[in-house]
Amino acid sequence: MILILFKKELRETWRTWKLPIMLIVFVIFGIMNPLMAKLTPEILKMSNLAGKLSLPAPTSLDSWTQFYKNISQIGIYLFMMIFAGIVNHEVSQHTLVNLVTKGLSRNAVIWSKWLILLGQWLSLNSLSFLVTWGYTAFYFPDNHSPHPVLAFLPLLILGCFIAGVIVFASTITRSNYQSLLIEIFMMIVLYLINLFKQTVHYNPLSLMSKNLDFLQRQNSVADYWPAMLITVGLGLLLTFLASRIFAHQRL
Amino acid sequence: MNMLEIKHLDKSFGSKQVLHDLNLVVPQGSIFGFVGENGAGKTTTMRLVLGLEKSDRGQIEINHELVHFGQTPTNRFTGYLPDVPAFYNYLTPREYLKLCAQITKIPARQQSSRIDELLSLVGLANVKQRINGFSRGMKQRLGIAQALLNRPQLLICDEPTSALDPQGRQEFLELLASLRGQTTILFSTHILPDVERICDQVGILHDGQLRAVGSLATLKQQYAQPLLQITMATAQEAATLAQWLQQNPSLAKDAITTDASVITIPDAQENNQTWTAVLEALTQQTLIPLKIEQVAPSLEQIFLKVVQPT
Repeated sequence: MILILFKKELRETWRTWKLPIMLIVFVIFGIMNPLMAKLTPEILKMSNLAGKLSLPAPTSLDSWTQFYKNISQIGIYLFMMIFAGIVNHEVSQHTLVNLVTKGLSRNAVIWSKWLILLGQWLSLNSLSFLVTWGYTAFYFPDNHSPHPVLAFLPLLILGCFIAGVIVFASTITRSNYQSLLIEIFMMIVLYLINLFKQTVHYNPLSLMSKNLDFLQRQNSVADYWPAMLITVGLGLLLTFLASRIFAHQRL
Repeated sequence: MNMLEIKHLDKSFGSKQVLHDLNLVVPQGSIFGFVGENGAGKTTTMRLVLGLEKSDRGQIEINHELVHFGQTPTNRFTGYLPDVPAFYNYLTPREYLKLCAQITKIPARQQSSRIDELLSLVGLANVKQRINGFSRGMKQRLGIAQALLNRPQLLICDEPTSALDPQGRQEFLELLASLRGQTTILFSTHILPDVERICDQVGILHDGQLRAVGSLATLKQQYAQPLLQITMATAQEAATLAQWLQQNPSLAKDAITTDASVITIPDAQENNQTWTAVLEALTQQTLIPLKIEQVAPSLEQIFLKVVQPT
């Protein structure tokens, strides 16, 4: 049943332009990351600051810095914004009435939405990653970034949590804006927790903020396994809670 | 054997009590007309039966299985046509029915032929566009198709004919009538002639309670008497006759109504006293009627009688 709904969700996200728009954005990120790294010194040279600053030549690290910055500062919020209505839109439009009165399980609705979000998170980020990787290798054939794949994997894992947050927020609210507010609130909580240095190995946020460390030092990833576990656990827990709440909602 | 049993059902929204100790039984195979004014609680009752609302008290059984709010396994028996059905606008009707067919677990090799059958049944066989561009009537037709798709044992239709054109309404009523015997149908409406045409059981909901229930014939016997309708050539003649009739002590004065040249009187059947009074009046006034006929009471009459404040 989840598979049937997953297909429906896939068609929905494609035909309502959500996925195409996100694809374009994430590919643009992929192209821009290395390009911006390459061009930033040139742009600065052209400005008034010419001569006053001595800039080191850009490396592949600058390109990856751009990548993680774009995802963690723009990509993730764009993703949340576009999918904020994934549950509450269906509730307010009554589109589930026909299906639920045919015996469709409400759990399947919630889990299929979590899966489609996770699927899109994985594919959009992977696409952006591959484009960035290709162009970075082309522009900066250096050895400053020895572990690009390893550094990227935690970001994929973060998708479990992001998808859970979106499904949960969209289930407990009645509109896109309320949902987005809850999502941002949850992110703020993580940032506040992040102020305490000792939580760094446990905070899901580390999976999108410590990637440059992972990129350069392979061993450092292992220290963050609690954060990965918590990320996956929280994602599943939020989705489970959403399904419990959704089971008793008026459609 | 009853397909649907509702016992002591209460439901309120905030301080407004919509259903008050509602009891309702729909026998298997019947077409049950569920009649009531706007806001009488028809839609709420149906939504409760489908587990879309939580009741405050009481229980509902479909096929002798208890209905639960939220997770509702009894919905495998049901098909539902909401008053305003909502669809995924980005799908075509065929894609939408395919989704429904998969959800109701119609075997894969039967899906396509069943969908074709229903699309031509509701007149959407050649529609290739997405639901996005559908008129309300077309949505209603698709709604009918999705409700019937899995050959439900209990079909619940909430004011199904309200958005249809006269031809569509005619076809839909014929369609429902053709399901008699195979499918139990609970059908809410306030278009009373529709109920008279196809329903074998009628329930009148008023103030959250079923005020009258039974076959149309039983209700007619119980709540209404036949009428005598006298058609005169002119309104003036009708007025003269009406005036004369009103002076007759054997007739209920208030029950005599005149509409242009037509006079209507309840036909008290004991000793033919209404007929006698009318014929007497006509003779004395030397009036010649164009037509005198006995009219069967309509559901409308019963309905008004049942819901009138006592």
